[in-house]
Order: sequence, then structure tokens, then C-alpha cells
Amino acid sequence: MVRHCTIRSVDQVARNTYLLSFEDADLCRVVRAGQFLEIKVTQCTDILWRRPFSIHDTHPQKNTVDILFHAVGPATRTLAQLTAHAELNILGPLGNYFRYEQNVREAIVVAGGLGIAPFMLMMRELQERGIAMRLFYGTGRSDQFCRLEEFEKYAALHLSTVDGSRGYQGVVTDMLSDYLDQSAHHHDSSLYVCGPTAMLRAVKEIANRFNMAAQVSVETIMACGFGACVGCAVPMTTPIPGQKYFMACKDGPVFDIREITIDD
Amino acid sequence: MIDLSVHIGSLALQNPVMTASGTFGYADEFKEICDLNDIGAIITKTVTPHPRPGNPPRRIVELPYGMLNSIGLPNVGVESFIIEKMPFLQTLKTNVIINVAGTDEEGFVFCVQRLEDVSGIAGYELNFSCPNVKGGTSFSSDPGIAERVTRNVRKTTRRPIIAKLTPNVTSISEIGRACENGGADAVSAINTVVGMAIDIKTRRPRLSTGTGGYSGPAIKPIALAKVFELSRCLSIPVIAIGGIACAEDAIEFLIAGATAFQVGTVNFYEPDATMTIKKGLEYYCQKNNIQKIADLIGSIQLKEMAK
Repeated sequence: MVRHCTIRSVDQVARNTYLLSFEDADLCRVVRAGQFLEIKVTQCTDILWRRPFSIHDTHPQKNTVDILFHAVGPATRTLAQLTAHAELNILGPLGNYFRYEQNVREAIVVAGGLGIAPFMLMMRELQERGIAMRLFYGTGRSDQFCRLEEFEKYAALHLSTVDGSRGYQGVVTDMLSDYLDQSAHHHDSSLYVCGPTAMLRAVKEIANRFNMAAQVSVETIMACGFGACVGCAVPMTTPIPGQKYFMACKDGPVFDIREITIDD
Repeated sequence: MIDLSVHIGSLALQNPVMTASGTFGYADEFKEICDLNDIGAIITKTVTPHPRPGNPPRRIVELPYGMLNSIGLPNVGVESFIIEKMPFLQTLKTNVIINVAGTDEEGFVFCVQRLEDVSGIAGYELNFSCPNVKGGTSFSSDPGIAERVTRNVRKTTRRPIIAKLTPNVTSISEIGRACENGGADAVSAINTVVGMAIDIKTRRPRLSTGTGGYSGPAIKPIALAKVFELSRCLSIPVIAIGGIACAEDAIEFLIAGATAFQVGTVNFYEPDATMTIKKGLEYYCQKNNIQKIADLIGSIQLKEMAK
């Protein structure tokens, strides 16, 4: 359904990264971690499509929902400039969500850059289920990390930066691989993953090597977000007759990493 | 009360708002957003004789005022379509038109034949824009083939037939006339305009297939010229398609000679556009003291036109 929501706040939380909070009493109670919203940035007339955003967090006591985004194009740059009381035209909640197996002892969350976005809500869901968490979070440089003090409340943090300005120097998947090599307990751990394509490809290899379950939230170009345009094709690992692609918007955005081929 | 009804041959529409094939799924995607029975006619995503997986990503590109697509007609095939998609469509009170395509001439007849015994179908739209055709000739650009396919489908069904035309030809009216001669009840125009975009960093085409179909507000002037041309040279109704995003756009097409119109790309980003446009038509008629929207059709004033 199309929702008309009012912005409560827009705050910069890291280099070029913004946390936008808007009011919707219904939405903040029904969404699940991993689902997304399609926002029509009506204040920006240079673009056609809505823009998809992961749901970052919800605050039922305040009736608000948060999204986290980088200001990279005309739509997100416009969003970053909006202030309290501005109106947003929102479609959602859309897509599927992360699933939690009963027998999982520990959730290992792997986030690259803005791939951190869906995990605040997820960590709250996991905490309610009493599942322990570890967050492997990688960025290019230290000023790109966002909301670490919040994430620290839920999970043991393992940070990496490409330039070595904080934590492990290198990519997050190398840090993950080193950790799993030394950990004896990964058999009953599950991976929850979101980040750039190269990272997803590395995680797929790691999940395979350590025989671990992994759920991945994919990011694709979408014109609609609800199954009408069929633009967001994600290749299946094992095609079935007449079908080679999932739709990220309806079959996903969360997939079992074994089910999908990670392409460029 | 404004009378919004129009007729496409034997097909009565409560209003001229239709949905363009490939932009409205099989309607159930929109059931929580639109009152589907308030739409004049719903045209489904293309159905082909056999299942098609569609093209590899990347399938869509957003451009200023338009978008490119190369989706590749993914669908479950006509047999599964009847089982999986028709039950929902049969619950609708409005007209449901099935868009069909074949990769060869027989494919069109095959689909229509298979759908003939299925209830809840108001008519067919023939997608004459399929790129992969036997002999390398497109249905859309050869009037002889377009006429033959239309005639063969005509022999197969008494339900209304709409021939969907491409603008990517030298003379769209020549193809339109061929479809009329073949027995089409109406033509719809235009399908997407062939277009391309290139990533200047990688120097690769931005679509996996190189070129694709350009749609959205950017193509409206092209569509308007084609609809105007067709409506002046055909005696069957013309259904307008191309960049219609608001009631004002639609009214231009009706004035140019379209009997009805299809709402396409806008459904992706304003999924309730059909509802807004229908309301906008009523408002325009009220404001301009028009009792019957049919009176607008072809009401263009040409006195000042040169040529």
C-alpha cells in the first residue's frame, strides 16, 4: 500500500551516511528485518523510479521507522537535505525477511559498508530470541562506520577497514575467514550477510568451505519493488524448467546463498 | 454523472483506462493498491506458448524521463498461465485482455486456441514486437506477416483482437492497415522505442542485451504523433500507449483520436496511477462541461495546422 509519512529527523551518522526516521504507527509494528520500502522522493523531479531502502530499525514506542542510506545520487542527496515534517510517499513493507532456525546457537552477521543497513532491526529480533551475535563489519576507512555504540549493545564487534585506520586491515571476509579457521564452534552458527558483490562472492565461498548456512540480502536495480517490472532478476544456481531467475523484490531480497549465483 | 464509457469494437469499457502489458503483471500484484474493477480493461503480461525465463540481468535502466528495458518476456507459458494466473483474473468484474506472443507465426494462434475455452477473457492483444522471429523478419515490421498472423488469429476466435504496434518502422500506418485488413478489432500503439545506454566507465552497454525498449514520459510526443497518424488512416479504434502518466496526458491522446489508452511505465513508480488518472478524467470533463468522454475522441482542432 502507498503510505504518506512525515519525517521525524534526518541525521548524518557517518561519512556521507544518513539515518532518516519517519512516522508510521502501522508500519513500525508489522515489518520484519530484511524487508524493504520503495520511497518516491517527490521533492526530486529529476528521477522516475522510487528508490528501495532496507528497513534499518523500528521504534514501536515512538511509532517511527528508520532507514539508513548513502547520499550518492539525486534521490538520496535530496533525502539527506530533508528535515522534520517533510512528507514521504512510501510503498511497503516489501519482500521477504531473515529467518531464524531454532537450533542456531550464534548468528554471525557480515556487513560491508552500507550493507549494515538491515541489521539493527535484525539484531533486536535475534536478541528477543536469545540468540548470541557476532558482527563482522568492514568499511573502507574508520569514518565510514556507523552506529557502532548501538551495535555493540547486541553483538561482539569485529571491525575491519581497507586502509587499516581501525580494526583488522583488509576486507571483512578475510577477517571472517581467519576467525572461522580458529573457531571450533562455527558448526552451529549461521551467517547473515549484506554488502557489495565481491563480498557476497567471498562469503559464498566461505559458507561452502565451512559448511555453514548463510542468508544473504541482495541489492539490485528495481523499477517497482513489487513484482510488476520483473527487472530485478537474480540468477538461480540450479535453474528449473522455464525458470532461471528469482525476482529480488518478491522471492527475496533475502536468499539462501546456495540458491543464487553472485554475478557482477 | 460523467459518462466515461467507450467501445473497442464489441468490447464495452466502463472507462478508457487500460493497463499496458508488462507493466501490471497479472493484476494480483496491484490488488492492494488499486480497485481493479475500476479499471476499464486490464491487459496481462505477455503469455507465450512455452515457458520463458527472460533475459539475464541487467534488464532495466533508469534514464531522465524514461527507462530502458530488456526483460525478454519471462512467463510460465500458456498452460501454466491458465492454471496459475487465470483463477485470480476470473474473479475480476472488469475486462481482462490476454496479451499473447509467439516466436513464430503459429505461436500466436497456438496461445489463442488454448485460451479459447477459458472463461473470463474479454479479448486478446497480439504482441507484434517480439524480436526473435523465424526468418529474421519481425512481425512488427512486415505488413504481410502482420496481416497473415492477424487473419489466422481471427479465424481462431470471435473475441476482440487488438494488434499492438511498434513505432520502430518506417510507416506505422502501413502495418496498422495490414492488421485492419487481417481482421483486427483495434490497434494499440506504441510499443517501446528501441534505445540504448552505455556505461562510459566500462564502455559496456548498460543492458545485458545491448539495446532495449525505451518507455515512459520521454516517448509521449512520439506516441502522440503515431496515434494521431493511425487514427486518421484506420477505420478501427486506436488505443494509445506511450508515456501516459497523468489524466492530462491521456486527454491529449483522446483528442488526437485514441478511443482508449493504456497506462504503462508509471505503474512501476506510482502504482495507483490508473485510479488517479480515472479521477482526473472525471474532473476534466466536469470542469469543461463534457457529459460523455467519447465526445472528446478525435476532437482535435486542425484549422491552424500547416501541411
